[in-house]
Amino acid sequence: MARGLDTSMRARRLVALLPLLRRGDRVALSDLAAAVGCTAEEVAADLTTLTMCGIPPFTPFDLVDLDIDGDQVTVHADPPGLDQPLKLTAPEARALGAALEVAGYAPDAPLRAKLAAVTMAAASAEELERTIRTGTAPGGAAETYAALAAAAEAHEKLRIAYHTGSTGRVSERVIHPWAIVQRLGVWYLVAMCEAAGQERVFRMDRIRAFERTGDLFETPSGVPTAVVPDPGGLDVAEILFAPGSRLPDDRAWPGVRIEVLPDGSARAWMPYRTTAWVARRVIAHLGEATVVGPDEVRRAVRELAAATLQQVQ
Amino acid sequence: MPDAAERLVNLALLLSSTRRHVTAEQCRAAGLGYPADQDNVAFLRMFERDKDALRAAGLVIEVALDPDTGTEAYRLDAEATYARPVDLTAEELSALRAVAAAFADDAAFPFREDLMLALGKLGTAGHQGPVATTAAAGSDVAQRMPEVQALAEAVRLRKSVTFDYANTRGDQRRRSVDPYGLFLREGRWYLAGLDTGIAELRTFAIDRLSSLDVNPRRPRTPDFERPQGFDVRQQERLPFQYGPTVTPARIRFEPGSAWRAAGLSRGHGLIDDLPDGSRLWTVDFSDLEVLASWLLTEGPGLHAVDPPELIATLAIRLKEVLAAHG
Repeated sequence: MARGLDTSMRARRLVALLPLLRRGDRVALSDLAAAVGCTAEEVAADLTTLTMCGIPPFTPFDLVDLDIDGDQVTVHADPPGLDQPLKLTAPEARALGAALEVAGYAPDAPLRAKLAAVTMAAASAEELERTIRTGTAPGGAAETYAALAAAAEAHEKLRIAYHTGSTGRVSERVIHPWAIVQRLGVWYLVAMCEAAGQERVFRMDRIRAFERTGDLFETPSGVPTAVVPDPGGLDVAEILFAPGSRLPDDRAWPGVRIEVLPDGSARAWMPYRTTAWVARRVIAHLGEATVVGPDEVRRAVRELAAATLQQVQ
Repeated sequence: MPDAAERLVNLALLLSSTRRHVTAEQCRAAGLGYPADQDNVAFLRMFERDKDALRAAGLVIEVALDPDTGTEAYRLDAEATYARPVDLTAEELSALRAVAAAFADDAAFPFREDLMLALGKLGTAGHQGPVATTAAAGSDVAQRMPEVQALAEAVRLRKSVTFDYANTRGDQRRRSVDPYGLFLREGRWYLAGLDTGIAELRTFAIDRLSSLDVNPRRPRTPDFERPQGFDVRQQERLPFQYGPTVTPARIRFEPGSAWRAAGLSRGHGLIDDLPDGSRLWTVDFSDLEVLASWLLTEGPGLHAVDPPELIATLAIRLKEVLAAHG
């Protein structure tokens, strides 16, 4: 029995399962579970409940008729009703719209219009657009994201032009797109970079251009999906913040550890992979942050501040 | 005794398979699972709740009046309920699957269950292998999801809400708000609505509100009208646009960085293409220091052009950085 799920929600899932059960089908429990967003155990309990459901007079021919054998479900008859997919309800359209907008699909994207056509009349797409906004990606990003997702699914190598944020340089490289990861509204591509010979994380909004190569690659097992570097093994910069400073949080400085001192100043320890990355964050604190060490980071801050000052003046 | 979910599915199957409209009494007598010893008032209450639950699942129930008895009778409105097949391109399917996988385990996405059911209806869920995923956004974000869900429903149903709110200075007081819309920025949810205590439109960070109450009275009747033309996109600002004054700034994107202007501006201000391939962005700001910090974070390739105070602030602050690291 599904625990902690109210009856109405459970009924929605049961109703959503019905059109997926076609006479003669043999499907894996895990596929059905993935299709309605629950575990294989939950879907097995749901299917068992469904076998008790039907229409009057509830003879064996009027019931949902299936067998579960291990991970396999065998469907013996079409369900006695509700055998077609239902239109999306207003909350479902809201969820889909919110998720797609995070992925760069603006409300006027053709995909959104197609989905509006299968949404219940009571759910107004225009009202949704005016009341919920999750999008952070620039216009046109959706096509890029869809193509990158398609390449990742097809295990196809990509040639990309990538803008490195800390240096502003654009470089070309061939990558094996392993996984797409979303963190705090920003989408990343975790990939093997052929030039570097190792795993790299690319922000998708900084992929300036890309093309599919037609060459395939093997995805190794246990692909990493962390976009924030594992602090273990990284060098750590020690940074002092003046009293009253705006302190960085884990969103802006992933992995940072901060200790506020009695006089209101703060000491921060920041794991870093490149000095340029820390230096850019330090100068953005406009003089409130001073690097105590190591020297390579102090030097990087000094050089970046001098170069930027020259451009400003 | 069948469980409640079983009774609901039986009712749904009956309504969808019957050619003639059926009355509540006929449903009760059909063996769907309504308790035999229930009195009529309790039965009718349960039947109403069941119809509401089926409507929430997406069933449109047609009501007809029996010409002889004048009682209501029901059946499924198939035309309004069933979806026609959607013709999606291969890339749209990939995108939907990536979105599904990204949010399936994301505790910080407030509409996860609705999303999974929507994708189930579209037949696009159930992809093998984690092509997409969402990095845990931190438990603080995930803990706020019940509030975001409740506020999203309050926005949809136009119900007033009250909550305790702590501003950036830590002052806390109770607010009464007509919720107009929600937006998400950098993993953080915001509510835009009318603060009825001061009769002004305000934006609230949802992670700073607590003890949220949605007006429980007359749940099906809206408490307020959203102003005509309200658009939550106009409430979402850039980080340097919060403050009492508004001043225009001009920022130049070098030719090599000109392509970034569209994304970084997020639809605010005006972007002009210059003959040398660079782009000039004219945008309002309210907080000079935050704008200076933003420029340094997003650089290189972005240059302050106007106003002179912005350039002066950048120069003074960068000299301080140099002095501290000399």
